[in-house]
Order: sequence, then C-alpha cells, then structure tokens
Amino acid sequence: MGAMAERYSILRRPLISGDKNFDQVTREICAPLENKSSAAWWMTFAAALAMLAAGMIAVGYQLKTGIGTWGLNNTVGWAFDITNFVFWIGIGHAGTLISAILFLFNQKWRTSVNRSAEAMTLFAVMCAGLFPIIHMGRPWLAFWVIPYPNMRGPLWVNFRSPLVWDMFAIGTYFTVSLVFWYVGLIPDLATIRDRATSRIKRALTGFFSFGWDGSNITWLRYETIYLLLAGLATPLVVSVHTIVSWDFATSVIPGWHTTILPPYFVAGAVFSGFAMVLTLMLIVRKVLHFEDYITLHHIGAMSKIIIATGGMVALAYATEFFVALYSGNDYERFTFVNRALGPYAWAYWIMVGCNVAVPQFLWSKKVRSNVTMVFILSLLINVGMWFERFVIITISLTRDYLPASWADYSPTTIEIATLVGSFGLFFALFLLFARFLPMIAIGEVKGVLGYGKQPEGGRR
Amino acid sequence: MPFPTPVPTIAARDPAPAPQRGFDRRSFLKAAGFTFAGTVLAGCEKGAVEKAIPFLVKPEEVTPGTATWYASTCGGCSAGCGILIKNRDGRPIKIEGNPAHPLSKGGLCATGQAMVLSLYDSRRLREPRISGQTAAWDAVDRTIAAKLAETRDGAKGVRILTGSGAGATTLAAIRSFSAAFPDTRHVVYEPLSIAALADAHEQCYGRRIVPHYRFDRASVIVSFDADFLGTWISPVEFTSDYRAGRSPEGPSRAMSHHVQIESRMSLTGSNADARIVVRPDSMVGLLGGLAYYVAKETGAGPAVFASPAAPSPRTASGSPDAEDAMNLLPLLARRLAAAGRKGLVVCGVNGIACQALAASINDMLGNAGVTVELERPTSSRTDNDRETQDLLAELDAGTIGMLVVHGVNPVYDHPRGGVFSAAMKKAGLTVVFAQHEDETAEHADIILPKGHPLEEWDDAEPVAGVVSVRQPAIAPFGNSRSLAECLLAWTGERTGAREAIRRAWKSAVFPRQNAEADFETFWNASVHEGYAVVDPVPSGHHSFDASVVPQLPAGDRKNPGAGADSSSGEGFMIEMYPTVALLDGRHAHNPWLQELPDPVTKVVWDNYASVSPRTGKRLAVEEGDVIRIETGVHILELPAVIQPGQHDDVISVALGYGRKGTDRFTSVGPEWFEAVPTVEPGETVGRNMAPMREIRGNYVSSYRGGVSVTRTGRVRTIASTQIHHSLHVPEHLAPKNAERRPIVQETSLAAYTESPGAGRFETHKVVSMWPDEHRFTKHRWFMSIDLTACTGCSACVVGCQAENNIPVVGKDEVYRNRELTWLRIDRYYTEEEDGVSVAHQPMLCQHCEHAPCETVCPVLATVHSEEGLNQQVYNRCVGTRYCSNNCPYKVRRFNWFDYSRGDDMGRLVLNPDVVVRERGIMEKCSFCVQRIQEGKIRAKQEGRTVKDGEISPACEQSCPAQAIVFGDLNDPASRISASRKHPRFYRVLEEIGVEPSVGYLTLVRNLPEGDGRNG
Repeated sequence: MGAMAERYSILRRPLISGDKNFDQVTREICAPLENKSSAAWWMTFAAALAMLAAGMIAVGYQLKTGIGTWGLNNTVGWAFDITNFVFWIGIGHAGTLISAILFLFNQKWRTSVNRSAEAMTLFAVMCAGLFPIIHMGRPWLAFWVIPYPNMRGPLWVNFRSPLVWDMFAIGTYFTVSLVFWYVGLIPDLATIRDRATSRIKRALTGFFSFGWDGSNITWLRYETIYLLLAGLATPLVVSVHTIVSWDFATSVIPGWHTTILPPYFVAGAVFSGFAMVLTLMLIVRKVLHFEDYITLHHIGAMSKIIIATGGMVALAYATEFFVALYSGNDYERFTFVNRALGPYAWAYWIMVGCNVAVPQFLWSKKVRSNVTMVFILSLLINVGMWFERFVIITISLTRDYLPASWADYSPTTIEIATLVGSFGLFFALFLLFARFLPMIAIGEVKGVLGYGKQPEGGRR
Repeated sequence: MPFPTPVPTIAARDPAPAPQRGFDRRSFLKAAGFTFAGTVLAGCEKGAVEKAIPFLVKPEEVTPGTATWYASTCGGCSAGCGILIKNRDGRPIKIEGNPAHPLSKGGLCATGQAMVLSLYDSRRLREPRISGQTAAWDAVDRTIAAKLAETRDGAKGVRILTGSGAGATTLAAIRSFSAAFPDTRHVVYEPLSIAALADAHEQCYGRRIVPHYRFDRASVIVSFDADFLGTWISPVEFTSDYRAGRSPEGPSRAMSHHVQIESRMSLTGSNADARIVVRPDSMVGLLGGLAYYVAKETGAGPAVFASPAAPSPRTASGSPDAEDAMNLLPLLARRLAAAGRKGLVVCGVNGIACQALAASINDMLGNAGVTVELERPTSSRTDNDRETQDLLAELDAGTIGMLVVHGVNPVYDHPRGGVFSAAMKKAGLTVVFAQHEDETAEHADIILPKGHPLEEWDDAEPVAGVVSVRQPAIAPFGNSRSLAECLLAWTGERTGAREAIRRAWKSAVFPRQNAEADFETFWNASVHEGYAVVDPVPSGHHSFDASVVPQLPAGDRKNPGAGADSSSGEGFMIEMYPTVALLDGRHAHNPWLQELPDPVTKVVWDNYASVSPRTGKRLAVEEGDVIRIETGVHILELPAVIQPGQHDDVISVALGYGRKGTDRFTSVGPEWFEAVPTVEPGETVGRNMAPMREIRGNYVSSYRGGVSVTRTGRVRTIASTQIHHSLHVPEHLAPKNAERRPIVQETSLAAYTESPGAGRFETHKVVSMWPDEHRFTKHRWFMSIDLTACTGCSACVVGCQAENNIPVVGKDEVYRNRELTWLRIDRYYTEEEDGVSVAHQPMLCQHCEHAPCETVCPVLATVHSEEGLNQQVYNRCVGTRYCSNNCPYKVRRFNWFDYSRGDDMGRLVLNPDVVVRERGIMEKCSFCVQRIQEGKIRAKQEGRTVKDGEISPACEQSCPAQAIVFGDLNDPASRISASRKHPRFYRVLEEIGVEPSVGYLTLVRNLPEGDGRNG
C-alpha cells in the first residue's frame, strides 16, 4: 500500500486553503485576540451596545410599569415574547448540531465553524432564556417554576405543565452546551496561555485551561471526554425544540394543538440555526480575514443542510395544512385558511416566501459560491423563521374558538425595542467572544490541515 | 379565603362564661405570648397602618366581618325598584334587588347596582353654596326665607322643578309649602319623557295616567319603538315579566310573540321575535294602519276607523320601507286580534297621536285590566313636557320669584337647555339641589347638596298600591338635606326627614290598608321589608273616548312621511336614545357605567353615530370614521359605528354624554407612554345630543329630520369589547359547511315543540383520556344560563364588578382588548335575507372539569376544588398567561397594570371578602366563592345542609330575567339538576372534551309560520 500512501485524494478537497503550517494557523487565529481591536470591531460593538441599551431601557420600563406596555391582550397572551423565545432557541440549535452530531458523523469540515457555532448557541439560548422570565406578570417570582425545597407546605411545581418541561429542557441544554463548548476550548486556552504576554492573561488562561500540558495522555483523555459529551449533547438537539413545541402541541387551541409540531420545530430550528451560522460566519470570515479557514466549501456544505432542512420545513407546512383540511375539525380548518388568507396573511406569506422559496436558490452552485447572495439568503431565512413562530403563536391566538373573543395584535415600541435589545445582547456577546477567545478551534483545525492534501486524504 | 361570618363557638352560644378570678400563670403566659407575637407581626406589616382606630363603643348592628342588609328603594331612575343594601363595617358595598318586591322581584339593572359606586364619588357636593361661597344651612334658610317673603309680597310665583317619581312625603311637603306660598307649582320634568303617553290617556280616559303594562300576561306584544327591556318606564320589572311570559316549556308553551317596530337596534329589538325597521316618522302612520286593521279584525273598534277620514294604511305610505311594513300590518292585526285581551301594544314615541292610537288599539283588544292596568297606573311617572315649556316661558317673562330645581339638570338635557340657563337668571332666586356642580347648578344662585339615594330618607309609589321606603344606609357624607325637609323648613317647620316621611305615611299611606291596625307596626314592617302593598288610589278614569281619535292633529297623523313636520324631507334622520347604562346622562359620573359595554354595540366610554351597513358602504364610512352631522341648526362630529338592523336613513346617537365634569376621567386607566387618555384633558366623555332633540307639538321628540351627513376623513378610536360580531366566520375564510359556529344554538318554538332536541348541533362522542381524578363527593357547583330568557341587559356584568372588586381600566385598555370584567355578554348578529337576528350569550369561566388552564400552569396557581370550582390562587400566580392562551372561552383576565380602584373614597366600595389583585396576575370568575363559603358556613352554623337557591353568585342574584341558575349538581332535587337534564341543555365547545360546568339552554324564538323578519 506504499504507493497509495503517496497519492493525494481526488475525492476530498482541502478544508483549509492556503499552504499553512501549524504556527501560521496559531498566529492567524490568535491575531484578533492579540492585536488591537479594529475600528470596525469598535463600531459594531458600539452599535450592539446601543441596541442592548435600548432593550434594557425597554425591559426596565416594562418591569417598572407592567406587562401592559406590551401589545398583548386578553385573547393574545403571547406574541413577540414567545416568538422571540422560540426564535432564539431555534438559532441555538445549529451549534450543538454542528459540534456534536457532525462530530459523531465524522464531518471534518465542522472544525472551522464549530467553536463559533457553539458560542452562538450559548448566546442565543441566553437571549431565549430572557423572554420566558421577562414575559411573566411577576418576573421577580420566576424562581417559583423551579422545584426547590420550600416552606410553602406541599406546594410544588406542576410537572404536567410544558413550561416546567421547558425550564428543564433549556436549563439542561444550556448547561451541556456550555460544558461542551468549554471543554473544546481548553486546548486553545492553553495555546493562548503559552503565547500570553501579560501576566493577568497568562494567569487567567492558565487557570481556565486546567494546566493543559499537551501530552498524549492529556489529548487522549480530552478526546474521550469530548466524544462522551458529544454523545450526551446529541439527544438534546432533538429534545429541546421538541419540548418547546409541546408548549403549543399539548394545548387545545387550533393551530397549536398539532402532533406534527415536534419534528417540524426541530427541522425549523436546524434550518434557522444554520442560516444564522452562515450569517455570522460570512461576516467573521470577511472581518477577521478567515477566508482560508471558512472556505466556499464550508459555505456550500451549510447551504446544502439549509436546502435539506428547508425542504423538511416546507413539507411540514404542507402536511399541517393538509391535515387541517382533512381533519374534519372546523376550527382547525378555519385556523389554517385564516393564516393564509386572513388579516395576518402577509405574515404567513413572508414565512412561506422566506422559508420555502428562498432556500431553493441554493440549489444553484453559482449562488452557493456567491458569498453576498448566500449572506442575503441567510438573512431572509432568519426573517422567515421569526415569522414562522409569529404565525404559529400569534395568528392562532388572534382567531380562536369564540368569534366574540377574537382580537388583533400589534406590537408596542417596548416590544420592538426588547427584540432589538435581544439582538444587541447577542451581537455584543458574540463580538466580545471574537475579541477574547479564538473563533476557530485551533487544535482541531490543525488536525485537518492536511485534509485533501496529504496521504490518505489527510484522514489519519 | 376569609370567612365572612365567624363561626360562633360553643362558648359564645352559652350564657356568659364564669368570670375568671385573678390572673393565673397560664393566662399570663398566654397574654405575654400573644403580645409578643402581635408585636412581631405588627412589625412585619409592609406599610404603616394609619388611622386604623377601633371602635371605642361598638355601634349596634355593626359586627366586623358580618354584612348587614337594609331594604330600600332604588334611586337610579324613577322606576323605584326594591333593593337590598349590603353594609359591611358600616358602609354600603353592594346593592341587590329585593327578591320580595312585588314589581322588580329580586332583579336589579346595571344602573341600579352601580349606584353604590356613585355614593363614594369624591366630587359630590358636600356643603350648601350661596353665590359660589360655602354657606351654612342657617344662612341658606335665612336667604331663602327672605326671598320667599319678597316673592309672596311681590305676587311672584315659586316653581319647584323635580324629576318623576316623587313620593308621598315630597308631595305632602310641596302641598304644605304651596299652602304657605300660594303661587307655587310643582313641575315634573323628565328628560326621557313619556308625557305624551300620559296626555293621551288624559284625552282618551279622562285621567292623566300612565298605565301599568303587564308583559307577563301578554301573548302578543307589539312595541312601537318602546325599549321596555332597556330604558322605558321600568325595565327591571318589564324584563322579569317579559321572561315570565316567554317560557317555551310546559304543555301550554305560553311564549309570547314579540314584534318590535323601530328604526335602530335597541336592546328590546334585539330580543324581539320579529323586527320591522322603519323611519321614526313612519310610526304614526303604521299605528294608524294597525288600528285600522285591528278595528276590522275585532269588529269592536270605534266606528271612526271605518270612515274614510280615519287613519288607514294609505296614510302611512310615503316611504318605501313603510310600504313594506304596511304589508305586514294585516298579519300583525290578525295576531293581535286573536290574542285579544292578551294582546298588548306599547309605544315609546313621545307624540300624542301615536300614543292615542296605541291606546285605541289596546282598547279595541279589550285588554284593560289584563295586559294594560289602568286602575293601577304607574304612578311614578308624572312627566309633563307642557308644564316644563310653560315654566320656561314664565321664567323668560320674569314672573318667577324663586325657582327650586331638585335632582334634574334641564340646562344639560332639555332640548332648549341654553334658553333655560338664560331664563333661570331672570328668576328672583334659583335654588338647585344637585349632587355635582352640574350644568344647571352652575347657573344657580344657591346650590344645595343633594343626598345620594343611599343616604337619604324618601319614599316612592312606583305603581299605584305599591309604596316603598327609601332609608339611608349610611350617614350622609355631605351636609345634605332632603327636598321635603327643606320645603318644610322654609315654611318655618323644623322636621327631620324621617319624621316627615313617617307623618306623610301616617296620613296618606297607612289609611290605605287594613292589614295592620297600629301605625308603628305598619311602619316598622314597611321599613323592614322596604315596601308595603296598599290599596291603590282609584284612578277614576272613564271608558275609552273614541271621539279623540279623529281629532288628533292631522299633520301628525296623516301623511307622516311627506312633509307634515320638520322631520321629513331629504336626507337622513337622526334619532337620540338613552343608553342602558347612563340613561339621560344622570349617571355620567359613574365609571362602572361608563365602562359597561353597551348591550348592543359593545362600545364603552363614548357616544357615536350608528349607521346601517348599507349606508356605511354608501358613504364609504367604516367604524371609527368621524362623520359630520348637520341639521341646519347644529353641526356635530361623531365617530361612526356600523350597526346591523339600523334603518338606512337613520343615524342614531346616544343621549347622556358630553356631561360637564366628565373630563375627570382623563386619569382613568394606566399611565404609560403609549397610553391614550380615556378623555382628552378638557374634553368630556362623548358629545351632548340633547340640543339636537326637537320639541314637536309640545313634546320632546327623540328624532329630527333633514339631516345631512358627510365624511370628515378623520378617525376616532372606538373602544368596543368585540371586533367580530357574527357567529359566522368571515366569508372568504369560511371552510365549507362550517360558516356558522355552534356556539349559540337556537331554534324556533314550533320546531322545539315538535322535537325537544331542535336547534342542537350534533355532538360526537368525546373520548376522554383523563383519569377520574375529581370525585366531587360533597358539592358539585354548576351553572346554567337560559339563552331564551337572557335579554343581554348587562345587570350581571355590573353585579359581578361590584361583588368582585373589578376595577375600571379605561377606554384605551378596552380598546386594547384588556377589559377586566369576569363576566361578559357576547352579542352575535346573524344577518339573514330578511333581517338581523341577535343572540346574547353571557360568557364567564366555565369551570371546566378537565380544565385546560390547570394543566399548563407551571406553578399550580390554578387548581380544581373538590366542589368543582376552577380556582385561581392569586398569590401563587407568576403571570405566564399560558392558562389564558389555553382557555377555549377566553374568559381569563389579566392585570396588565396596577389598575387603580379609584381614590381613597372610591375604594370604600370594595368588598372586603374579595382579594384586590395586584398587577401581573391572572384572575377570572370564581363562581363567587366567597358567597359559596358564606352559605356553607351559615348552613353549618345552623346544623343543616345547604338549601337549593340559598347560595347565589352575584350574576344569578342580579338577573331580572332569572336566566341564570346556579346550584349543586349533587343535590338531585336542585333546580340545576333539572336544568342539566333539560332537553335544551348544551355546553359550548362540548366537543373538545373540557367538560365545562356551565351550560346553556338553547335560544328559542317564537317565529310563527309566514313571518318575515324585516330589515
């Protein structure tokens, strides 16, 4: 087989372009951490902080004055709040999928994006987690949904409530994602420690890298635990959004009470998550000059996942409609006709346009290799997925059983500012992450440098 | 849940326990322990309790935590319904109907129940004022005495202007005042005048009386624009009677057939079996036509109807719609004639010709003594438009030395209010008794504080032979004196109000009965019961004088549609009507009533111009578009509301708005930066329509013709509690065969007689996966609401609000669909080819056995009780609103803000048995759990089980139609058990398997074959 060993793969294209050595990789990825921040970074960070400030003012005002500062009413008890919540949770799905499932499937291309995607997951879940708390009438009592030993006699939480399941699901997801992300970060923290020039930085990274020594046994243990965590995180990818969908599926409201919701939500979540990863990565590769690491190949791979999950989402839309019409349930039938033709039809058609039509452009390789086009399409998908949640949650509520209690909904300034604020929080956290931690897993990328270039296709 | 009634312990029932000698060690330790614990607890108090001073000497009757009830007479309008006033800790907190009262029979309208809130209105006048300066009564009496002497010497007159419904005491006081000052006249002014009704009877029967109508005895009711279920004469009594005469049950199926002829959709019209929609000026022609046909049918009519000059169908033609209506008259006449003595024609038009024709039809039917009681007239109504006009002339001529105005506000609500205010200045002295510094009072020389009906002694005789006492339930907040007391004082007699009424009763009421020989016994019994039944004073009317009919003003009778009066002519007509809540505007200061959704339009906090859907389309006007209404004299801009069932040529607008001082409501509702104030500062709630009314032939008419309407292009927010008004889903969204939702199930009497299941939608078998977790071994509370009986009057809505401390939230919040009322009445229109039918459906928490709200609450803030109640635990609620989202009936209510419950004084009305909810928590109907507890505890104290009907939620208690039945399903003999098994029983959304504990009885309409339902 010696001859084979000399052959370069023709099946696999290199994952990292440019002829980079290990040192170069370390330097390039650590550059944003070690150089002064660029003006672009400062400007975007300032913009993110401004958005965050707007959101904080809005939330502060709402906490002080009352939830009535939102556009909700007796009939529509949830709208922007839970839409945003489900939207952010959905965004958070790509990270774990990329880092855990693709890891288990041995998809090497994940190494360029997994760190950022996981960070994105954490920040998105943070944003998501805010909404169930601030949407409460008395958020200062939010801890009551946690079952903890208390002095209130036999009073306990209601384990039949999907909101309690949510709390567990999201709590678990966040914890596992955080640990997974952190474990993956340890070798890189050690790299930063070794390169650190200031004492504080060295002390901090030294502490957080647990005295990493880069020995074979350390690597062995590291890879074992990483594999285990990947296994642990995998079911969570499915469980979180399934449970979130139960908030609606277990109810009695037409448009919510649908058994298809769990797979539909999971597919939608992956779909929106990848769209968001693309949006962020396309900016990152441009601003931080990571074009060699996040190549058109990566973009293409993610685009293909978007086509696949977008197809699932489209199928779900069609199935949902078909089942409603086929069900013989008049309320259900009305609900769906109302979505498509009722007063909020514009929202429905934005959803269909962005989630069903837009991904179809990605079939074309030309489009997939046009970074600007992919960027625009990914943004549109994000918009579409936000509207999907709005359509399911809000439109269903506005027209339910009794025509006398039908109501309309429109958001207030406070709600819009809160949504803007959640984006501000997300971007601010992401920008800080870009400034202080390696955006790309240095250790893992080094492992795939030879992919498609070296003997055996670089698969060692 | 605080227990309203303390359970007496054995010790308390026993004779006084043996006195303890000395203070032993155990007692010391106990006392010390309590003191310590008390100190600690007091330290835990959040805010300092200020001025919470215990009684030094506990007043008799007042036991903390226990309600005291006083029987009295409602002062909300002149109907004089019997009420019971619930006092807690010395203050009235609720008014309920007196079940023993022979007229109102336990029900009470929304307005009457809301009167308790106006008692605590901090803007009420407290002290007498002379020329704007606060003065003592002595000074007032001196000034007035001097003026009276001067008036008498100057041979000028004294006029006393009051509203209708003055009782024996006031009348006696006026009489003795007249004796002292000879040129004194008592003028009765009623803004919602039925003077023509009385005058017509004077002409036809020789006595100026308003008959007592008996809707319970009628089998055919034809109402010409009389909103007798809403605002006409005595709506509570009429609603109760109407219901009694409309039961589709029993072998006789004695359900009356009700035809309403009107131009707008009134509450009464919304309940009618058939509506004929005509212009208001067609009424007289139609009445003439009906009289003609009835005369022909019965053959008993006066000969005059046979003569060619008589009113006949021809006289009514003129407008095409009247032509259509005219074609229905023979059928109507046949039905009335067939009903004979059980036929009844009522007419709400304030015109002598209409009223005389209506009286003549009643006479031809021979219904005197059956459905029209002439010998027992409605003695409370002595409205006199002519005398009011004369007074205006006298004032203008300057012949009046002193004018006393009591409890009426002519400057605001008289069509010539502006003239009135100018003329008032020409009187030597004007003395106005008013609760607020209103439009009339501000022009007065002396303003005297008028007591609230809950703080005054008074009496009334709503119907001849039923006399009732009004007793104070609290000491007056202000320094007020009753009219009788004042009049007596000004004649030099110092008598307290209670003494005055006792004296009047001793001389005028006591002799009219034989049951009691002793006045004290009679008086005490009357005060205790709130009323007494005595012999009516003979009305002394003669038989019907048919010669009156041809003498009716020709223009008023003939050719009504073609230029006989100013009402005709091109363009639109405008019709002014009183609302169920505010009436003529006398309750405009009451926020509960301002926020009570109109029973028909469901709009709050505003008046508006109702236009028909067709007219709306023609003028390109949608709900909220401001239209300009020009009469040639007045120009007014009002937002439009599209009203099905409205005549295409008629714009109708509510009276009672635009009251001075209603700018106070600018602060109602939460304050935040996107909030829109309920009233713009400096503006009033709505616009005053009174000046638009016309005086036609001495009578204040409710309509005016020759009105032009144009679009202004501006929009004004209309706050309505409903945005979709039909059981049919919008056409373009409707799935096939599911256009109409089976929420209200209805049928016709004929179909129901044939098959008891008529009108019921087929239900499929509900398969339940629920464990049988609720066993309900003790009680199982259940409610049923009879949609045939419910008129939509909204009494229950206010009853619930008063009982359960529900705050008003303001126009903006209602606009945002955040009203807080636990009980709402859904109103659905069904537009059919031949007209609009209306269904009213009270909707409240359905207390589902498998409650969708309970499973989804993460913190168990809503749970099921072992008696079938769906309970909301306020202090556990964190406010996720998931329960409300998952409620199929959307009956849960959320505290979006910390809603204000009024100022310090306004909060005195709060029911101490019900928690006041803070912001961020969910609330909803509790089936009045505090009343259930009270009933259970009372039964326990008395060592018995709860009796059926003993426990009654506020809504059931208040319902004049007794449409609501509440009780224990575990008691097989209870009314609710019978109702549950009734063939008409159904539950809304039964098919989704939530097992509601509230059911409805199908709506049955009495639609004889061959009937059309016009426009």
